[in-house]
Amino acid sequence: MPDRRTFLTGLAGAGVAASLAGCAGSFGVGRTVTVAVTWSGAELNAFRKVLRGLETRHYQAVPIPYGDDIDTALGSSRSRRPDVVMLPQPGLVAKNRDSLAPLPDGIWRSPEAQYDKVWESLLFHDGQPYGVPFKITHKSVVWYRKSVFGKHGLTPPTKWTEWLELNRRLVRCGETPLALGAADGWMLTDFFENVLVGCSPGSYKALTDRNRPRLADDPMVGKALRLLGRMWAEPDALAGGVNGSLVQQFTDAVVEVFGHGRAAMVVAPDFAEVEVLRFAADPGDIRVFPFPAVDGDDQDSVPASAGRPLIVGGDVAVLSADPTEDARDLVSRLAGPSAPLPWIRKAGGFLAAHRDTPTGDYSNELRKLNCDITKPPGEIQFDLSDQLGPIGGRTGLWRVLQDFLVRVGGQGSGGVPHEVDEAMKQLRELEG
Amino acid sequence: MALSAGELRIEVVGREIVGRPVPGRARRSYGPYLRGVPALVLMSVVLVPAGLTVRAAFHTPEGYGLGNFVVLGDHAALHAVLNSLIWVAVALVLVVLGFAVALASRRTPGLWRVLSPFLVFPFAVAVLVSGAAFRIIFDPTPERGTVTAIATALTGDSPVWLGPGLFWLVQVSAFAWTWLGYAASLFRAGLGAIPDDLGRAVEAENVRGWRRLLAVEVPLLRTITGVVTLTLVVAAVRLFDLVLIVVPGPMQDDADVLALNWWHTTNASPDDAGPPAALALVLFAIVAVVAVVGVRGLRRPWAMPDRGGLDRAATAIPDPAPVPAQRRRGLAIAVPMGLLWAFPALVLVATALHSPLAAGLRGWWGRAGIGFDSFGAASNAGLWRALLTTALIAATATMLVLAVGVITAHLLAWGGLPTWLGRAAMTAFVILAVTPVQMYAGPLRQVFTDTGLGGSPLSLAVVHAAAGLPFAVLLLRAAFAAVPPSLIAEAVHGQAGQGWAIARVSRACRPALVAVAVLEFVLVWNDFIVGFLINGAGSPLSLVLWGEARQFATSAGPVAAAAVVSSVVPVVLLLATWPTVVRGLTVGTAP
Repeated sequence: MPDRRTFLTGLAGAGVAASLAGCAGSFGVGRTVTVAVTWSGAELNAFRKVLRGLETRHYQAVPIPYGDDIDTALGSSRSRRPDVVMLPQPGLVAKNRDSLAPLPDGIWRSPEAQYDKVWESLLFHDGQPYGVPFKITHKSVVWYRKSVFGKHGLTPPTKWTEWLELNRRLVRCGETPLALGAADGWMLTDFFENVLVGCSPGSYKALTDRNRPRLADDPMVGKALRLLGRMWAEPDALAGGVNGSLVQQFTDAVVEVFGHGRAAMVVAPDFAEVEVLRFAADPGDIRVFPFPAVDGDDQDSVPASAGRPLIVGGDVAVLSADPTEDARDLVSRLAGPSAPLPWIRKAGGFLAAHRDTPTGDYSNELRKLNCDITKPPGEIQFDLSDQLGPIGGRTGLWRVLQDFLVRVGGQGSGGVPHEVDEAMKQLRELEG
Repeated sequence: MALSAGELRIEVVGREIVGRPVPGRARRSYGPYLRGVPALVLMSVVLVPAGLTVRAAFHTPEGYGLGNFVVLGDHAALHAVLNSLIWVAVALVLVVLGFAVALASRRTPGLWRVLSPFLVFPFAVAVLVSGAAFRIIFDPTPERGTVTAIATALTGDSPVWLGPGLFWLVQVSAFAWTWLGYAASLFRAGLGAIPDDLGRAVEAENVRGWRRLLAVEVPLLRTITGVVTLTLVVAAVRLFDLVLIVVPGPMQDDADVLALNWWHTTNASPDDAGPPAALALVLFAIVAVVAVVGVRGLRRPWAMPDRGGLDRAATAIPDPAPVPAQRRRGLAIAVPMGLLWAFPALVLVATALHSPLAAGLRGWWGRAGIGFDSFGAASNAGLWRALLTTALIAATATMLVLAVGVITAHLLAWGGLPTWLGRAAMTAFVILAVTPVQMYAGPLRQVFTDTGLGGSPLSLAVVHAAAGLPFAVLLLRAAFAAVPPSLIAEAVHGQAGQGWAIARVSRACRPALVAVAVLEFVLVWNDFIVGFLINGAGSPLSLVLWGEARQFATSAGPVAAAAVVSSVVPVVLLLATWPTVVRGLTVGTAP
């Protein structure tokens, strides 16, 4: 569940949604189709524009923000259940199949026609699709300021060792390399997952496939932590130091790099573009590079076969059981390749899951990321912590990584192996 | 014996007495019991779920036992208990500080009139709002945070105020900002009610300084100290939303308090009601002990009709008019302190008047991006509708509390219940007044979810009314009991109906009614925890604030705008009625 939408998992949601659903019913004119979403703020406004482009003169499409508690949308009583749900974790489709209806024919002609094949196993059951991918999230991205790199004659790294060297050179030049939004635990888990996939795609896949995955038993988890720990342990590598990082949320880290110019890079998903564009002092300075291939460092080696990591997340449109004709119609329209265009044009920070969505309106940086997904460097992996249950969340991996950061951050690499042992012990206790 | 007038003849016929004389007995009346029914019905909204929680606390898969209380041995729970105790200590320090401020203002004529509105208005502001104000002031970047900017300008570097350890400073500041004025006001009213001749007598005996304080003020203000301590300690133990809004995620485990730990435990095991119920029971036990001990100080004056109390409190001896020199000295203290107290509010307003972008990048003093865009952003998030719904909920709950509260308080003060029953009911109300929402949140939420009533404003208003009724009854009863019996002699002797008596008493106790109405309205308006825990959504207004505050620093503009808009109504209401509210609150506690 860990995601930016779930930094406070909990009770909130069901009630809001219920009350808003009530409002939607009473304030709407004529027929309405309710769509449960996790988005808020700028993203919610962008999705409103998408819906406005899709509704017909027969019905109105109304988004209902569920925030962190989108899974309660499917659990609510039948009369209050939204017609369509935009699920942020494709893994939830299989779990909730009983409360879903199969999609109307013709939306998804054959498993690989419009979407990447990773979606098939997640969304198909008995040859029937139960959800259609709408938005895809690229989670292996590093956003940086071109001007900082240019000033010191640096180029984006393609390998982990190059990245470490780049950070050291930036520190020597008096620049701070990284801003870390450690107050949002998912920022740290995303970082860690990229290193883990880079170290060993096989281990990562095994962890996501297993029914009850155990991180503590996998030596590759320890290796990934050691690599990550040595990057964080570099003195002066983190903007604001450890304490500064701990109080920074995702958007604060973006501001630290692009607004206040106190750091050169931030590891953040493609949707960070909305915030990057908002706060950037100079929009021409915004660049991305893909998360480098992990080739080890001076103390841990990694076989060269691993390749560059590519982790994705996605939002999937599903239909509640016993759908109305209007709801079916809306989902068919949402699945159209041009449906997300208003979002792409007005707000940015959106990658379409559909292969035929025109790419002309993407920003340069998002176009690069889109290419990365359509022609992946290796196998695409889905976000791991989303699939770990509570262990992937606030009291699990978030906490372990935050504690790990506190103990290694800026301390030099000497103490890292010991702290990795501590972190593994903590994981073992959590996993029982 | 016979009388006759014209055609009419009236005859009185005597009869022989048979049998022994029996003692007279009043006609048994069910009236008092009937008048207890509304309170009983309303309180069942809280009582039944609280009973279920008690049951769940002792219910384990293996049967009934103490198994669920193992959760207390958990390191995190112990840490939370410890933090809650630290908060209680903070509350006690604040009581002393409040007393000191009241004393200082008494000795410096002219001070109080200027200072009191500044000290008091934060009391009308939601915890979420004060937390947001202080988080903005202590923001860790020198571009946005006032304190960080000053520290950086002076020393070239600044501690990370929201970071490990230092977040306490921010939390405690916010808590003190909210409560100090309340404590000082009540003490001030108490000091003002000390009879003048007593002061002169003590002075004549040359008792001064600490000795005078310990001999006169402290013992005379015992009851008010009880009320203030009770309110503050209960607020400290119930602390929940302040931690959520002020402390960044990674430090929340360090900052964990009992109420928050309960919430996390509920989330961790949504299907197992046992451990959270056990925690809720512990929380309840702590608060109940504090309440019962605190109320021992209140029992005497609160339970006895005090003929003079009402008049004396209503016409407290006015302060002597300050001479110009004293006035200047008073102003010299009052103006800086008032400004200090107004500062968080000024920061909120100034931040709200910047665009979301400008407020996300720079502090409230920045010159770029001034305008109303942040209000626009907050209104897009549903602020205005939330405002209307909140007003509806608060008004409904207030009217319900007033109606049921007046009937019940009159019943307990003058209604003719058997003594033991009246006493039992009073004790029950004292304990219910401090019952934490965690005691009934779980089962209520279940019912609301199952019946789909969760989102309805009416159901939330009823829960609020039930939660607010005990305090209202205690306060009103104290005031009603202080009414001179002659006022309602006809009703006491059965010559007039109870409705007439209730109307008469209520008219005489208008300050107490105003106090109850204003406090209930402000409390419900500002609520976060009851709505959040029970219908999952929070009361609509806090919900908007809370939703906007998710990425806190970069949403400072809309957060501040929502905070300002949501504070206008309670602040204006409380400031307009404050003197009456204080009179209402201290009725029956006057020395």
